[in-house]
Amino acid sequence: MLGNLFLKTLRDQRRGLTGWSIGLVLLVLVESALWPSVSDMPNLEQFLEGYPEPMRELFNIEAITTGQGFMNAELFSLLLPALFIIYAIGRGVRLIAGEEEAGTLEILLVTPLSTAGLLLQKLAALAVSVAALGAVLFVSLVGCSAAFDVGISAGAAATGSLAMVLIGLEHGCLALAVGAITGRRGLAITVAGSVAVAGYVLYVAALFVDAMADLQPLSPFYQALADGPLGAGLPLRFIWMPLAAVALVLVALPVFDRRDVATAR
Amino acid sequence: MDPAIRTSALTKRYGKRLALRGVDLEVPAGVVFGYLGPNGAGKTTTIKILAGLLRQTSGRSEILGMDTVAERDRVQRHVGYLPGEFVAYPDLTGDQYFRFLGNLRGLPASGVVPRLAKRLGLDLDQRIGTLSHGNRQKVGIVQAFMHDPEVLILDEPTSGLDPLVQREFLALVREARDAGRTVFLSSHVLSEVEAVADVVAILSEGEVVVTQSVDEMKQQAVRQIDLVFTSEPPLAALRGAAGVRDVTSTGMTAHVVVEGETTELLRVAAPHGVTNIVTHEPDLEEIFLAYYAPAR
Repeated sequence: MLGNLFLKTLRDQRRGLTGWSIGLVLLVLVESALWPSVSDMPNLEQFLEGYPEPMRELFNIEAITTGQGFMNAELFSLLLPALFIIYAIGRGVRLIAGEEEAGTLEILLVTPLSTAGLLLQKLAALAVSVAALGAVLFVSLVGCSAAFDVGISAGAAATGSLAMVLIGLEHGCLALAVGAITGRRGLAITVAGSVAVAGYVLYVAALFVDAMADLQPLSPFYQALADGPLGAGLPLRFIWMPLAAVALVLVALPVFDRRDVATAR
Repeated sequence: MDPAIRTSALTKRYGKRLALRGVDLEVPAGVVFGYLGPNGAGKTTTIKILAGLLRQTSGRSEILGMDTVAERDRVQRHVGYLPGEFVAYPDLTGDQYFRFLGNLRGLPASGVVPRLAKRLGLDLDQRIGTLSHGNRQKVGIVQAFMHDPEVLILDEPTSGLDPLVQREFLALVREARDAGRTVFLSSHVLSEVEAVADVVAILSEGEVVVTQSVDEMKQQAVRQIDLVFTSEPPLAALRGAAGVRDVTSTGMTAHVVVEGETTELLRVAAPHGVTNIVTHEPDLEEIFLAYYAPAR
């Protein structure tokens, strides 16, 4: 695992990834275990009508009468995207800004490795790490669905997990890019976190404010979650998330290449 | 043949502050070059520009004839670099760390690292996070030397090392030079540089105030020596000795400021019964102020 920077970076993430994976499996397990008792509620539909209209729309509550709709409302409308975003931002800021603040970046740079090579290997490790968490989500969804008869197809589990990976990776790349441009971990967290919150606010506000409806497609949350994500298939709008991620890294690259590298602080 | 290191009119500005004001250096290959100056003079800034970690505001810097900006990655291939504040991954052992760096630098597995570690007394199986400051500095030295680079750029390399290890380190530097490598090392302690360098440049407030051979420097270095006598110090005789620039006394102790060799001073003082001699390491700022400033 020390053969190159990509593997070393993955190695650095093995503990975090293991912990997050365990948490994710437990979360899916608990929600799935709830499903049989929810579906057995005799007057579920009447109960749901009691919710205010905006809430019903936001969490797509009408669909809760199916297992897939239940998981969309409970996990995929906010909790899972937030978890994937937090995971990816947490890894993303460490890749360059974290090494720079720790003081280990200098030695990495004074090697035959170029700044572009360094950034791309770090990016690859981030992508693999977030994808691995997505794979854990996929497997636990399929497994739990079978165990508790939630009724999530493997295809739906795959596209739902992909949506989480893509929205997480986009924000992780933003954190990586801001960290590479500024060398400051705190700033990278702030910027990436703010963009995530802004994206969510835009997504939600557009549900209620007609004037904002046209802007909604700009939100990564819309791109990842609209009409699902479980059961929404593989919409073309997914492509915006990896495109944005790549664009962010491409913007960061020349700046990182030219700027001064800070000493440990 | 290109000099190993050359800078011309190297300037670095941080916001309003000018850290380097037109530094010109020329370091021939196969030389140990001491880069001296008080803290904050711009030593680290120069070194980081040479290592390709900072970009100069203006001027040129070259290593082995290659521009450190335009050909940075090629330059970095040939450089061993020890930062002023060296930090390695605390969760790795020395062995893992050097294997990782060896892979990054494309080195074949060899006995070089264990040999260097043994000479410096570094335990390769211990996690770097649990090492003392001095032992972490040894890790930094090993990583700078392990790929036998043509140019070694070392920022305050002996900080935190005990005297025995310092001596071993200086031996490594001499061996590297004897093998034709070029060593550029910074320090704020004259004696450390005197012991190993062939040529010294003194930096003050971002400018090189003098570049000369260590032998010349020793001739001109101004030191303060306290001589403790058995009776009243013979002030007049001491003042007359060659190289003495100033003499004051408190009780039985004469405080003598002497330039260059101390042979003559000691010859004059000895017959008067000297019980103790304390020599003070010349402060660089003092050398600069006391000697070079009037000559400029």
